[in-house]
Amino acid sequence: MNKVHRSWRSRLSDLLPQSVAQDAGGTEPDPRFTFANERTFLAWSRTALALVVAGLAIVQLLPPFPGVPFGRHLLGVPLIALGAVVAVVAYSEWVRSQRALRRGEPLPRSVMPWILSFAITGMAIAAAAVLLASAVR
Amino acid sequence: MTGQDPAVRQPGDDPEERDPGLARERTSLAWLRTAIAFAALGGTVLKANILTGAIIIAIAPVVWQLGRVSRSRSGPADLPRIGATQLFAMAVAIVAVALLALAVAIFGPADPGALRRR
Repeated sequence: MNKVHRSWRSRLSDLLPQSVAQDAGGTEPDPRFTFANERTFLAWSRTALALVVAGLAIVQLLPPFPGVPFGRHLLGVPLIALGAVVAVVAYSEWVRSQRALRRGEPLPRSVMPWILSFAITGMAIAAAAVLLASAVR
Repeated sequence: MTGQDPAVRQPGDDPEERDPGLARERTSLAWLRTAIAFAALGGTVLKANILTGAIIIAIAPVVWQLGRVSRSRSGPADLPRIGATQLFAMAVAIVAVALLALAVAIFGPADPGALRRR
């Protein structure tokens, strides 16, 4: 329950590199686990970059949707923002997993599938709506 | 922590057990892929805004070095020294690059072909 009542500010300051370095609880885990955790973070980072590229490509490279003046921005801008969110969440999950590995606790459940599935569902609905609006016209 | 229960697992089952350096190598390859992803994003932005694209492409070698710096001086058997600082810097870099891309998407030319048609 303690976790629930902690302020956002203290939760955010837990993510700063200094506080991660000072948190020396537990023992150094198997290096392979540390490497695997780092690779997971890097894989999410690439996913974030791919989302940014996709959003940018929609705005820059697609021809405009007839009859939907802001259609490309409606689809591209949320993808770019999602990329930034994925990068931040990936880092916070790396911190949480590394802490759990040091202490020998079970790994925390990832919120990333939740974020991605909701965002992609939303994007699919928005894309369908934009396409329909430009086709109907 | 590296030791496994010999009753359950024979030593040498897993090639990584003999050489944790493979995990290290996979990780540095992952850093390299991430650097390439930065360069690819920079290339996309280059088409709309040359300066912004060049800045993002310049981040790519920095990212690659970030991955090397963290464990350059340790031998294969040493514990990795991956600071939270490196990964924090990565997250900050991606957010910054996303903001740059957002600016290019919103204020840049809507359609690179439109530049020539104008």
